[in-house]
Amino acid sequence: MRFPSSNRRIWLDRVLFLGPATLLLVLFFVVPVVVDIGIAFTDMGRDLRVTGFTTENVQRMFGGDRRLTSVMLTTLIYVSCTLVIFNVGYGLLLALLTTALPDRSGSFFRAIWFLPRMSPSVVYALLWSWVVAPTDYGLLNQVLLAIGLPLADLKSNFPMVLVVLANGFIGASFGMIIFTSAIRAIPQHLFYAAQVDGAGPLAIIRHITLPAIRWQLSFVTIYQALALLVSFEYIWLITNGGPFFDTTVYALYVYRRAFDNGQYAYGAALSLGLVLVGTILALALWRFFDMRALLQRPRIEVG
Amino acid sequence: MDTAIALHGSEGARWEQLATRARVRRRATTGLLYGFLVLGSLPIVIPYLWLFTVALSGRAGASTVVLWRSLAVLLPALLIWSMLRVGIDEERRLRRCEVVLLSATLIALAFLIGPYLHTGNWRFLWNANIADQLKGSAGVGGTYPSVWAAFGNSLFLAGTQMALVVIISTLAGYYLSRFDFRGRGGYLKGLLVLHAFPAMTLIIPIFLLLHWIGLLDTLTGVILVIVALELPFAVFVMKGFFDAVPWDIEMSAMTDGASRRQAFFMVVLPQVKVGMLAVAVFAFLRGWEEYVFVRTLLFQKSNWTMSLYLFWMSEDMMGTDYAMVSAIGVFYVLPSIVLYAVCQKYLTQMSVGGIKG
Repeated sequence: MRFPSSNRRIWLDRVLFLGPATLLLVLFFVVPVVVDIGIAFTDMGRDLRVTGFTTENVQRMFGGDRRLTSVMLTTLIYVSCTLVIFNVGYGLLLALLTTALPDRSGSFFRAIWFLPRMSPSVVYALLWSWVVAPTDYGLLNQVLLAIGLPLADLKSNFPMVLVVLANGFIGASFGMIIFTSAIRAIPQHLFYAAQVDGAGPLAIIRHITLPAIRWQLSFVTIYQALALLVSFEYIWLITNGGPFFDTTVYALYVYRRAFDNGQYAYGAALSLGLVLVGTILALALWRFFDMRALLQRPRIEVG
Repeated sequence: MDTAIALHGSEGARWEQLATRARVRRRATTGLLYGFLVLGSLPIVIPYLWLFTVALSGRAGASTVVLWRSLAVLLPALLIWSMLRVGIDEERRLRRCEVVLLSATLIALAFLIGPYLHTGNWRFLWNANIADQLKGSAGVGGTYPSVWAAFGNSLFLAGTQMALVVIISTLAGYYLSRFDFRGRGGYLKGLLVLHAFPAMTLIIPIFLLLHWIGLLDTLTGVILVIVALELPFAVFVMKGFFDAVPWDIEMSAMTDGASRRQAFFMVVLPQVKVGMLAVAVFAFLRGWEEYVFVRTLLFQKSNWTMSLYLFWMSEDMMGTDYAMVSAIGVFYVLPSIVLYAVCQKYLTQMSVGGIKG
């Protein structure tokens, strides 16, 4: 039997505890998705006013925009190169090497690789633009000069390499952290047994370490693919998508269409694609969370 | 008898030999690992070192003398340090050697780069209109704010945002951990999707939303947005910490006559202090480092945060005084690094919903 007053208390509690979070989440996640879908079918331009509804934006996405194809190709190259070489590959290498060292030295090197993630994006981007500065003051060029090679201008000649390197140096640390704790969790006796059986380091990695961390491997792959796909912060800061459109990835293209060219409606339509991919990958990530533990019934329910 | 002894002897020698060979091999492998890691870390270490040396010693015109000199000291020191760690097994002796190495390095540094150091690049700290002086009074777009205005804005943004995230996520985390209600499963699942969902894709509608509410170009608007984006993660972290608090504690408080809310504030909350601290540090850093949203949602110079200040200074001053720009960079990056280093212990304790192993 419930008394009205206790019923009211339950509701009051719910509003007090859950209300603020729910309000903000609805306001800045749910409403924006709805707004985005709505705006995608309007003609909103620089003046932020809607004068009519149209499907022009969607049509333009699927055929009218010739630049879009090359942007998508750029995105594909950028995401797959960074992901394979750095976020997964180098992250794994760092985790394997640093866990093979004594604890303190291992964390020293991990801390170094964590530096880029610890610094604000503007500072990190500034460092890169100094490193690759095309004059002989640029750090890279100083090194090249010292060993007698001609000066290089990565930013104009190999912008994609620059963008992949800059993002990869940050991306590697995420995988490194996850893989390190996964490798640490492998029971030590497995390694001893393998060594007794005469397995070399490579065989141990291939037959013990990698199989033991395959969950983390696929988690990092999906999570980082999503992160690379939607983030444009460092590219924006370092090359601004240039020269011309050479390093303009999809997410940056969306941003520039909306905020640089004032085509808010077209930008909204374009970002629908990202919202869709984001949702799908977010759902795919569900597999990696321990749902049973997460949804476990609360143990007391006293009002 | 003779043969037996001989056999015994050769056996012993072989074991000895094998042990030596294994030790040599182990040391060679470790040495190789150190070598690879030291070399592989150089592309990260050198630019940061450069930033710091230029900030402390740079003068008009770019110069890398100080960088190479400090590298010439630090690199051998690092190599010797790795060799010490590979070569010396005894803990006390190792510590002693490390102290000697550290003091030798510091002395060498003081000797080699000491004469170059000066504080001129930090004049932006006490000269509020340094930017306008450097650009000439006819600078584009009016006067630059002083660095302290930007610093204050960043501090305000990060601090307020941190307080809100901690309070809201603690309340929600507690409720989700302790109360059963219809739709709880759905709520949690939805939260998990939002946690993985990339909020950056919603920047256009968020911009429009703030425009319609009238919060565009206000710090309040940006704070609310960042709080909302931080929440799914923070709520999960807090829920995890509350889940780990045994319910008997609460129960006994309530049998002693505490109300539900009293039990929450006086008994449960102290148990999750570490979690709140971790969320707080994380939220603060996020606010301090934010760039994309502040760049998009704030326009007025008086609203600039440190990230915008540094960005525009580097755009405008690079040719004029790039040593000062790097000093600003150090000024901006140091709080982040210090906070990470100090609070590392708390940050590593967070886990979301427990990734399956």
